[in-house]
Parts: sequence; structure tokens; C-alpha cells
Amino acid sequence: MSIAFKSDESFREPFRYSNSDEAILRFPFPFAEDSYMYSVNIEPHVRGGPTGAFQAAFDVDEHYVAECRERAMVLRQDPSRCMVLPHMVPAQWDTLELIMESLAEDYPDQFTLERQGETWTWTNRPLGLRDRFTFGDLRSLPREPFEYVTRQAQGDFTIQDQREGNLFMDGGMVTTQADWSLEFDLGMSFHEWHGPVPVAHELGVFDRALQYLMRIQYGKPVRRLNWTMTVNPRLDTSPENYPVWGPDRTTVTPGNVGDALHLRVELQTLFRLPRSNAILFGIRAYLASIAELARVPKWGRRLHRVLRDLHPELAAYKGLVRYRDAAVGYLAAFDDGAPTGAGIAPDTARLRAAA
Amino acid sequence: MPEQTIKSRPVYSPLQLDPGGRRHLLVADGEGVAERGLAPGTAAADFDERWTIVSHSRAIPSPDEGVSEHGFRSLPHLLAALRRRLGDERMGFRLYAVGAEPFLWTINALAGELGLGGAEIHLCAVGPQARRVFCNHCRTITEGVTTNVVTCAGCNASLFVRDHFSKRLNAFAGVQVDAESPGEIPDIEELYA
Amino acid sequence: MIRSEPLAIRVGAIESLSPTLRRVWLESADSGLLPASQPGAHISLTLRGEHGRHHNSYSIVSACDDRAAYQVIVRRTAQSRGGSRFIHEALKVGDVLQASTPNSQFPLQPRARKHVLIGGGVGITPLLSFVRELRGRDAHVEFHQFAQDAEIPVFERLLEPFGGHGLHVHPGREAFDLGALLDVQPLGTHLYCCGPPTLMETAQATAVALGWPSTTLHSESFAPAGGEPFVVRLGRSGGEVAVGEHESMLEALENAGLPVASLCRGGACGECLTVVLDGIPDHRDHVLSDAEKAEGRLVMPCVSRAKTPCLTLDL
Repeated sequence: MSIAFKSDESFREPFRYSNSDEAILRFPFPFAEDSYMYSVNIEPHVRGGPTGAFQAAFDVDEHYVAECRERAMVLRQDPSRCMVLPHMVPAQWDTLELIMESLAEDYPDQFTLERQGETWTWTNRPLGLRDRFTFGDLRSLPREPFEYVTRQAQGDFTIQDQREGNLFMDGGMVTTQADWSLEFDLGMSFHEWHGPVPVAHELGVFDRALQYLMRIQYGKPVRRLNWTMTVNPRLDTSPENYPVWGPDRTTVTPGNVGDALHLRVELQTLFRLPRSNAILFGIRAYLASIAELARVPKWGRRLHRVLRDLHPELAAYKGLVRYRDAAVGYLAAFDDGAPTGAGIAPDTARLRAAA
Repeated sequence: MPEQTIKSRPVYSPLQLDPGGRRHLLVADGEGVAERGLAPGTAAADFDERWTIVSHSRAIPSPDEGVSEHGFRSLPHLLAALRRRLGDERMGFRLYAVGAEPFLWTINALAGELGLGGAEIHLCAVGPQARRVFCNHCRTITEGVTTNVVTCAGCNASLFVRDHFSKRLNAFAGVQVDAESPGEIPDIEELYA
Repeated sequence: MIRSEPLAIRVGAIESLSPTLRRVWLESADSGLLPASQPGAHISLTLRGEHGRHHNSYSIVSACDDRAAYQVIVRRTAQSRGGSRFIHEALKVGDVLQASTPNSQFPLQPRARKHVLIGGGVGITPLLSFVRELRGRDAHVEFHQFAQDAEIPVFERLLEPFGGHGLHVHPGREAFDLGALLDVQPLGTHLYCCGPPTLMETAQATAVALGWPSTTLHSESFAPAGGEPFVVRLGRSGGEVAVGEHESMLEALENAGLPVASLCRGGACGECLTVVLDGIPDHRDHVLSDAEKAEGRLVMPCVSRAKTPCLTLDL
């Protein structure tokens, strides 16, 4: 299967980003109903789902090359956006094996993994890489295994150590995050790193989620969707660089909100890793402007209703306060009050014309 | 005793002897401090050994076996001895610490490095509530913060002092408060005296 | 790795280690690579026995990185319900079986500064996978295996590839001072135990008395299910299934044609969680909280039984 990579995209000033029609139709739209509240909402991560974004273990799309380049830029500006505690070396190798095997299986035209015993040869055609190394030997790779392989995958990743009846976030590659700090949260337990999230603790969401995650079995990964909004197609919305991107939030007007405001959806996947018994948490971020999403009639109606009726504490936590009214005003034009179908699928194969 | 406002803000309980342990060491960051962190019915003498930072240069821990009170000149002086002691200790040991919050998490980090898990370390915060603040933007830690907003000692950002706490960094998170509207700073309040 | 169950496995080789111990090499039936195993993992094999099909779990003793074949060691038990007897008497090289993906409820602790392993009899099996992995990580490991005299040479031979340092086989438990061993372990040691229930209870009790926190004590039980017979009533269909004294509730349900999802079959993973509509469960699992057990509305049929003559399940 060939992918038309949009290699010239930019996720920072000056922005250059858009989704093709196919990318819009395969977008993991996160709202299955017309209103939103936290839930555990975990399901098995199988190959296949309501849209094309769910078809692979680790989804690769038209933005792959540009996103990998963006990641490399973030790391040149701040290497601490990838950190792994020393005891997680087995989990690093587990992650490398899982991602390489998955990419090679799901995208054989783009990635090849050859193995002769412990000697592995990895070919990444979109990035023009070919590396031979010894599995298990840190010195045979140009970087530590976790950083090496996550530089070649879209989305952020963390590795959780399971011990003392809890999960500890003991490593991560975090360059496309929605405003949380890897360096600050490194080493925290499950409830601690979720500490700042409002409302959910009282609902017991994290207690149940932790119990569920600790029982995830090898070979049976799970997934869920999370969402927030970003002004401009900016991937690096880290707390570290908040002084740089924070002002973007004040630039949204009713006139530009359709193209400037993006829905940022995280397809979160969780895999049990074999040697380390750790959990790999993949946080695959997808961006689409609300104008792009409104080209799907069902999504235009539903997004209007969700944002209009969103719990104020959630709106504040997700950073939407400054532009929520502009967004709701813009989307109102796409909501004729008609009923929307259940589930997240677009329920159409054709988009409205672009504005 | 500090209140828990969010889940990542540690809460502390007055200390009691852990009945599952066999040897108990209590460390405190000043004279008279330990007693303020013990539960009713628990006395400092209940612990096999007590180490106290007494902050004068003539203090010296005893070299003899079986002595239960030891005085140390400073935190680094105590930490050097504690590192050696934990390296020599056996399973069944429990470590207790009473003092200001930053002291506790320094002790905790050393204990974790030497193999103790959560069940083997017991902490209780007493005394000044001034905070160490980690600037999320430049990584500088500003010490002794008592206000809701502080100027970062590294990059000069006006930082809102959050309750989100990192045990590893032994600091609270600080995030620029006026990034979206430069110059708009909330009223300064003394919160952590 | 996303694996759709089950794995198709072909028996690659069989070796008789002793009159009651057999080692079996299990390859992928399509001659490809198997998924990497986990330390302490077991694999559930679907086997033919006297009363139909059984699913028996066996610990994988081979290295995680050995993806050409998994090795298991099976003890022929006197009161075998069919599984181990089938492996000892009927299984042949070339036979094809269905198997689960390896699953570990007995993982290694990555932050431990030292690992002390205690095994009794065939309990050596998950501990062998630990020794392989820990030697590979250059970790500090000490292993004490208790064996009947006749089996000492077998276990010494199994441990030989890992070098002698720190690995000991002892003739029986009585002469060994477990308390003295556990008394001198440095801070940050974790204890892993696998063997007969009395060995594990003694090791656990000794460690607790010496002040080891429960978070440093890990064990895997091979104890077979069994107890008083009882009846399971099916709340949805109205039928009844008799559970005999030598079979688990899960096995009885499976043999009656009811597909209850399961995985570890040892009360540790939560996969077979079933709702109880009536009757009082006899909980023997490690998943439900004390509150959930007291409430009695959930049960793990793979290991738990009933306190009342009849238990009604939401099936």
C-alpha cells in the first residue's frame, strides 16, 4: 500500500498543514454522542475500527515524514523531551521489537525487518534509513533503543513500570503532547501524573482505569480516544514551550476560527511488553481544523453540540476558554438540529466542498 | 499539616512504629522536630535509633554500637552517613523522617536509590511550608517560595506555583502565569509560610 | 504485537528427564517465529484427556529471546485429570496443538537490587526462565532449589548452563535454614517462590516475620484446583452443570460446552470474571478485592468454588 507523504509540512511558524480528503475521512473523531464526559472507554486494540486510523497497530499516515522531522527538531532544541530511567532497559528493547515488528507487518512496502539470530537489519524507506544492529546490545545502535525507534513513529510514547500494585511512568518520548511535562512527571505513579485532571478523580475513573491497565495481557492490547483543541496545527504544545505557543490562544477570531482552531485527538494504545512486563502507552495525535471536520455533515453537527454543552471545568482544563464561543459560533452554521447517527464513523464517503 | 488539593500533592500522617519492621531509624531535620511528627502514644524513644541535624560544627555521631542518639552538623553530613548505613542494612529495616517537605523527599530519593520501597519509608512534614518551585520552562529550581506567584530565579518568568508535586525533582511545578496576556499577574498572596 | 488466539504449535522434540519429568519443545506450526515469551510466563495447551479436552498451563523454561521454540517441563502427576498423563504417554513429536500466547502472572521486578529464588520440585520451571533473563541482565541472583534425592542430578543439569555461582540444589527442606538465608539479604531484595504450598507458605511467613514488606514477596502457585462437589446453575439458560471434586468450575463449564473466556487459569488475570446471581462463592483467586469477595457478586471460576451446594452464575 503506498502512502502519499506530505513531506513539506510544518507544525510550527510558518505553519503548512492540511488533511487530504482521505485523511479527513479516516480521522479518529472522538465523539460517539452529542455530549462528552470522561469515562474509561477502553476497548481491545484490534486491526480495524470505525475509521481508517484504527487499521494498524501503530498508524502511519500522510503526515509521517513531516512529523518525524518535527520530532527531530524538538529534540535538537530540547533533548530532555526523551528520558528513560535506568532500570527500564529491558522495556526499551521490548518497545523497539514491538514497533519494528508492527510497522513491518502493517506497512511492508515502507518498512522491512530482517533477522538472523540476534542480528537485525531495519529498513525505513520513507525516512531513508537502513541500520544493522545486535538486539540487546546497546552499543550497536546509534541511540538508546527507545529513542531510536520512537523517532520513527508518529505520536508520543511512555513506558510504565508495573510494581507495588501501581504503574509508574518511568520513561517517555514526549514531543507532541497536550500540555504535560515529561521531565516533571517522570517517575510518578498513575494517580500522581493524572493529578491535575479535574472531575475524573471524583468519578473513580482513575481507580478503575488503573486496575484495568494492570491486568492488560501480552498479545491483547487496548485503546481509547482522548481529545483537546489546539490553535494552529502545532504539535509541540508542551508546558516547556508554553511561553512560545500560549499567545496563539489569543489570536483566534470569529473570522479565522474555522481554519485556525484544530481538534486534536489522541488515539491512545496500551501494550503489555514481554521481557520487562511494562506497559507501552502510545499517544498518537491527529490534528484537523474544525473547518475540515465540518465537511463531514455528522461531525459538524456533533462537534457544535459537544462544545456548546461542555462542562465548564473540562473546558477550562482543556484550555478552551478563550475561543470556545468563537468555535461554537462558527460551527452553529453546520448544525441544523437534525439527529446524528451513533458512533464515530463519518457515515459518508464524500465530503462537503471545502470553504 | 498541608492539605491535599490534588492527587499529586503528598499527604502526611503522624508517624507510628511500623509493626512489620524489625529495626527502625528515625531522622529529623532539627532538634525538637521529631516529636512534632509522631502520633499520640508514639515516642521518639520507641525507635531504635534517632539521627538529628543539630546544625553546629562540633556535633559528631557516636562511633559505638548500641548508641541510639546521633547528632549531625548538616543535611549533607547526615546523608553521607545514611547512604553508608542503608548500603549495609538488611531486609526488615524501616526508615522514618520528620521535617520540612524538601528534607523528606531528599531522604526519600536516597532511600529509593538504595533499594527501599514505599512500604519501608515513612515521612511526615512539619515546620515551614515554603516550597521549592521547578520552572517548567527553564528547569531552574527557585527555593523558599511562600507566595502563589514567584519570579523564576533562572529565566525571570512570573510563575504560578501549582500544587502538582514531583517527588523525583522534590519540587512543585511553576508555569508562566501571563504567557497569554503578558503583564497580567494575579495579586500576590502569601500562602506557604 | 496483536495476536489473535490461539497459536498453532507443533511438538518439535520430547526429552525424558526423569520417570515423572518430561521436557517438550514447542515450535510454531508454520515454522515461523513465535512471539517473544515473558519471564515467569506459562502457556496454556489444549490437550486431549479422559474426559474430553483440557487446558493445562505449563511454565516456559526457555529464554524470552528463543523464538524458535518454547520449552516446557511437565510433571506427571498421580492425580492427573488427563493433561499431564497425555503429555507423558500420548504426545508425539510432530503433533499439532493449540496454545495461548505466553502470559506471565509472575513477573521479574526491574528495580530489585537482588533477586532470591526459592523453588521446590517442578516449581523450578518459572524460576529457570528468571535465571536466564537475570544472567542476561547481569543482575544479582541467588537460587535455592529443594529436591528429592533422586531429582537432584536432574535439576543440577538444568541449572548447569547458567554457571554455578549463586545457584544451589538442596536435598529436601528440613535441614535448610530459610530464616538464616532471609535474615541476611540486603535492602532492595525481592523474593520469588514456586513450589508445593507448604514451601511457599513457610517462605512467605518466614519473610514476613523478618520484616520483608509484602510488596517484595512474589509467588506462583501450581496447586491444583479441587474440593467438595457442587452444582452450577445457569441463570440465563436455566440449565445445570455438576462440578466434580477433581475439576475446576471452569473446566466443568467448558466440558459442558459453555465458552467462558479464560487465560491464566490460575486466579490471577481476571479474564474469567463471572457474575454470581445466587449462592455463596468460595474465593481462591488473587484478583478480587476484599470488598468484592465479601459482596459475593463476582467469582473467578478457574480457581474458586462454592460454599453453598449450588451457585447460580449469569451465564
